[in-house]
Order: sequence, then structure tokens, then C-alpha cells
Amino acid sequence: MSKQLWETRPLEIWGRAKALRARWQKSIDESAEQENLLLAHGNTGEVDWRESFKGLNIIEDNPVGAMMASVSDSFARKARLASEIRGWGREICGYVQNCWGVQFLGYQLDNSPFPLRDMCVPFSDPCDQHTKRGQQCMDFSPIPRWGGDWMMYLGERDPQREVEMIEERVYNTLKVIDDIERIFGIEFDDEKFVESIKAHRQVGEYALKVTQSMTNIPSPLGQKDLYSFYTLGGLTKVAPDELVDFWKSFSDELQWRIDNHIAAVGNERYRWMEAHPSPWHYLRYYRYMEQYGAVCVGSQYSHMMAGPIELKPDGTMDRREMIPRPAGTEIRTREDAVRAALTEARGHRFKDDEYFRLNAITDFAKGFKVNGALMPLYRGGVGCTLTRKEQGLQLSEIGVRVMHYEGSQPGDRTDLDERRFMDQLDTWMEGQGLRKFEE
Amino acid sequence: MITAGVDVGLENIKIVILKDGKIAAKSEGPAGGAGRGRAAEKLWEETLNKAGIQAADVSKTVATGAGKYDVAFAGDRVVEVVADARAARYFYPNATSVVDAGADQVRVATLGEGDKIEEVVLNQKCSAGLGIMLKYMGRRLGMTLAEMSALAPDAAGGKTVNDGCAVFTEMDALELLNRNVHKKEVAGAVVQTVICRINAILKDKIPPAKETTVFIGGMTRNTAVVDGLKARSGIRFLIPEEAQYGCAVGAAVIASDR
Repeated sequence: MSKQLWETRPLEIWGRAKALRARWQKSIDESAEQENLLLAHGNTGEVDWRESFKGLNIIEDNPVGAMMASVSDSFARKARLASEIRGWGREICGYVQNCWGVQFLGYQLDNSPFPLRDMCVPFSDPCDQHTKRGQQCMDFSPIPRWGGDWMMYLGERDPQREVEMIEERVYNTLKVIDDIERIFGIEFDDEKFVESIKAHRQVGEYALKVTQSMTNIPSPLGQKDLYSFYTLGGLTKVAPDELVDFWKSFSDELQWRIDNHIAAVGNERYRWMEAHPSPWHYLRYYRYMEQYGAVCVGSQYSHMMAGPIELKPDGTMDRREMIPRPAGTEIRTREDAVRAALTEARGHRFKDDEYFRLNAITDFAKGFKVNGALMPLYRGGVGCTLTRKEQGLQLSEIGVRVMHYEGSQPGDRTDLDERRFMDQLDTWMEGQGLRKFEE
Repeated sequence: MITAGVDVGLENIKIVILKDGKIAAKSEGPAGGAGRGRAAEKLWEETLNKAGIQAADVSKTVATGAGKYDVAFAGDRVVEVVADARAARYFYPNATSVVDAGADQVRVATLGEGDKIEEVVLNQKCSAGLGIMLKYMGRRLGMTLAEMSALAPDAAGGKTVNDGCAVFTEMDALELLNRNVHKKEVAGAVVQTVICRINAILKDKIPPAKETTVFIGGMTRNTAVVDGLKARSGIRFLIPEEAQYGCAVGAAVIASDR
């Protein structure tokens, strides 16, 4: 690499990460063959209770939809078309359209039958179509559907209001668990649940250190790699202890890289952030940007793995606690665990409200010392695009150069014009006086 | 010193030869679609002949535009907005912003000190409001670009068409024609939609200064668009005589630096 400034080398932890990922994939593949009930879910959301049910297998539509689009564009298109002709519009999230389009087709990419779900508990989100999430499978089978209530937050933050919102969510989550126990007669393992919430909390602590490491110049980790890791523990379910150990090792390795000046991009001279990735099949733009000596140091999308973070007065990024946890609070019961998880999750939800989205993005830019920001404008999954232009203006005002580009959604490559995107990147970088090193 | 700038756009190729900082020759020709590399070479020969020089006399040639990588005889390339910025300051040293509106792009750059560019705004993918749409709609309406350029500011007569999407623009235009609206009124509405679109891009981030904004690109040849944009934006654009060659001029200026 030209103009080498720092040593760079691959991460040691890659092998372990791939092994964990492979185990998760195997669990998905085997779900249909088992006698267990199948739960459809969007994402983990704030409280990961599902693993604590005995006899329940979970298939999340977001990662399944994302993988489909990356592995086979033609099959993903076929699936989305199957969904569209049943009236599900193109503004709907690409992940959802891919996943449930397969249900309508009846067969998966490998020609195996679509594993029909027995129940669904979609997480709702500000993306308007998420209120319809789960309806495709609920109507098709039909199966019971519970709504994960996720309220929008308008206006300035109010601690009392936070408490009320959390209590409503606690009630909502406990009711879903109770209902599933009662209706399906399956047992919820409270002990396992408490342990998993504790483990999740520990993973969050290490994830915070990973996030903080990327504020370092040079960054020891690039966003492209972080996108591979952040699902491990969030979306990807393996043994809790193993995940905690994995994240500890990951965070330790990054600290070692910082101490030894090992960079993700050896010629780092430009740092950029983003709000979402491009469609997943097209992550090579990170490598392209390295020709300019540019490294992507983060995204709200992936750094949410670290939980609530904010810019502190000393310029560091650290834990945001909207509602301080009372000292000595122990997690003993199901309700304790649900409340603790929700309380800690509250406040990092950059998707929640327009007020917080705007402030959070400028704080993020300052904390990660970025020069620029890439902000996609997506046609589908409108929560992905909500306030992006306003965020761009806010960033411009603090001197961060912003490039917007158009696309469908990370799970749908239809509207991403790859050639144009590259041209835009060249214009963006050269417009800032930077040329590729080989030129 | 002799340098050259080659701007290979979607519709047209523009070549400018600068001799000691002055325009010695300029040529424009069709881009030739997939054969734009050959089209550029042919136009290059013509321009050299006009200037009365040989290719070997040219110290450096810089290519820009969508087809910049198809120009085999160019020694270097530059992205269009950087060429726009250099062109603006070449024509008007006190320029603070530049707008380049062409067949498939509208670019707005806010200029900083020296060669620095403070901010750039590009149109997004949709061709609504771009030269290529104007040309297509002219063909649909049976009007030449010259006829559309000569339209009066109030030609639309209050009729409007969609300004967010070229497909919807056409649908709206067809609906007006089916209601027996005169084609000049429809054309007026199309011109207005182009004006609205460019104006929105102008105001997207940093609104350009009223007196020191340079307007270049092929769209400057359309009087109806230029006058309408002036009225809507309130900007008294600085439009050089060689406005459609702006990007090529900028590339030629950059060639003298590299």
C-alpha cells in the first residue's frame, strides 16, 4: 500500500468469529428438521428472551433476508416479486420482502421447503412498515402474532416519561412470555434468562470498548470488519459464556493494536462515518476508499451493539445512562431481568426520535473525529432514511463533509447504481482535495 | 505552455486547448454513445487543426466528464466538480460558487480559498430536471430544443407537471396533451419543472451567493431555463461566453498545474 504510515495486519480473532458464525448458520439450517416450534422474529430488540424457551427455535427475518440478497440477487428478486404481487409494496424493508417472499414461493434458495413459522413476535420500529411486520406469516399460516411495542419519542427527553415508557415495555414483554407459555405449553427457563441477560450486559461492556477503540487515530478496526463482528452476540446466538469470552478477546486484541500502533488502514489520513451500510453485497467500497487513505470508523447502525453511548465533555464516547441504575440492584427474577435490559437499552435508540437522531449524529462525528459522512437515502425501510437529509445538514454545519447516495435498502440491491456510487465517491474525495495514492 | 481539457459528457464532447492561459481553440461534438473514445479522438484531431498545432505540442491533456476513462490520449483525469471549480475561477476570479447543469448531472460547488472546494451537491439518480429529460420531452412534444429555449416565462399558463421523477413528468405531460392543452403550455410546464429541480439542488446545502455564482454547462444554452432559474432563485448568474465548455476549460487549467 502506498504512503504507508502504520503497520497493518489481519485480526487474530477472525478464526473464532467464523467458527461462531458457522455454528449459528448450522442452527438455522437445522431448525426445520427439529420438532421444535419455530418463532419468526425481526431482530433481538431490547430484551433477548427467546433463547430461554425450551423447544423453541428462532429464525430472524432480518439476517435471513440480508443473506439472501447477498448470496443470490436473482433469487432475492424472485422472492420480492412474489411478495409484491400479493400487495406488499416496494417501500417495505428489503429484508422483510426477501424473507417472506420465500414463504410465498414455498421453497428456499437450496430448494428445501420453506419452514413455516408457528408464531411471530416482530419488533416494531419507527420504520412505518415495521408495524406490519409479521403480518405476512401471520396471515399465511395463520399463526399467532404479538407486537413488540416500541414507542416513538417526540420532543425533548423527560426522565419521568422514560420510566413510564420502560414500565409499559416491561409489561408488554412479560405478557408476551406469559402468553407463549400458556398457549403453546412450553416452559420458560427463568434461570437461563437471568444468566443470558447478565451475559448480554457483559458483552455490551466489551462492545463499548471495541466502539471506543475506533475513536483512536489510527483506528485499529475498520467498519467493514465491524459489520462482520457486531452480529455475533446480537443476532447470532451461541452459548452466552462463549460470547462473553469472544468479545473480551476481541476487545483485548484491539487494545493491543492501539498500544502497538497497528492500523486497520495503514495509510489512514481521512476518517468517515456512515449511518447505514450500502447493500451488503457491495462492501468493496471500503477497500476502494482505502486507495484514498480513508477508513470508515463507525456507524450508529453497528455501534448500537455497545448500548447507549454519548459524547462526554472531555471528548470521549462513553456510556449514556438516561435513567441511572440504582446502586446494588441485582437481577434475580424474570421481571428484574426484563426491566434491567430495557432500562439499559433506553437512550441509545438513535432511531427513536427526530430530536435525538440529529443530536446523536453530530456527537458521533465529534467523538469519532471524522472528516466526512456517507449517508444513504433508501427507498425501502423508511426508518433507514428518516431525517438523513437533516442529519447531513447538521453535519455540514460542524464541518463534516457529507455525501448522500441512493439505494433500495441493504437487503435489496435493485436501486444501488454501483458505477455511479463509485463516481460519486471520486467526486466526493477529489472535491476535498484528496487523490488516490497511485495517481 | 499549451494544455488541453477534454470533457466527455453523456450527450456531447467538449475540447478546449489553452495556450498561455488563453483559449486557443475549442470544439464540440456528439459523444457517440459506446464509441465515445473514438468520437473524442476525432474531435481531438479537429481541435488540434483549429489551433494549428500537433498533439506533441500539447504539454498535458486532462480528461473529465462521465467518459473521462475513455479518452486514451489524455495523460490524466479529474472529477468534474473539481474542473467546474477551476473553470469558475478562470472565468471569474471572485466567483464563490459554480453551478454546472448538463445532460445527466447538476453539480453545485461552493468555492473556498485558492483551489479549495467547501461543499459539493450533486443531483441524485433520477434524471428529472436534467438536460437529457428536456431533450426527451422535446421529442415527445414534437419541439426542438431551440423552440423550448424560446418559450416565454409564463408559457405554462399555470399548468404543472411532476418535478420529482422523469417518468411521472412524462405521464403528467401526456395527461395534459390528452386534455387538449396546447403543447407549448405543456413544454412550458416541463421547463418549469427543470427550473424547480435545479433550484432545489442549488439550495440543498449552502445557498449560492446572489452576485458571484457562475453558471456553466449545456443547460446555459436554454434561455427559458436560465431566465426562469434566475427569477426563481434570485441569483444573478455569471455566465461566460464559453459556458458549455466550462468543465473542459477547468480540465485544461488543471493540466497546466499537473
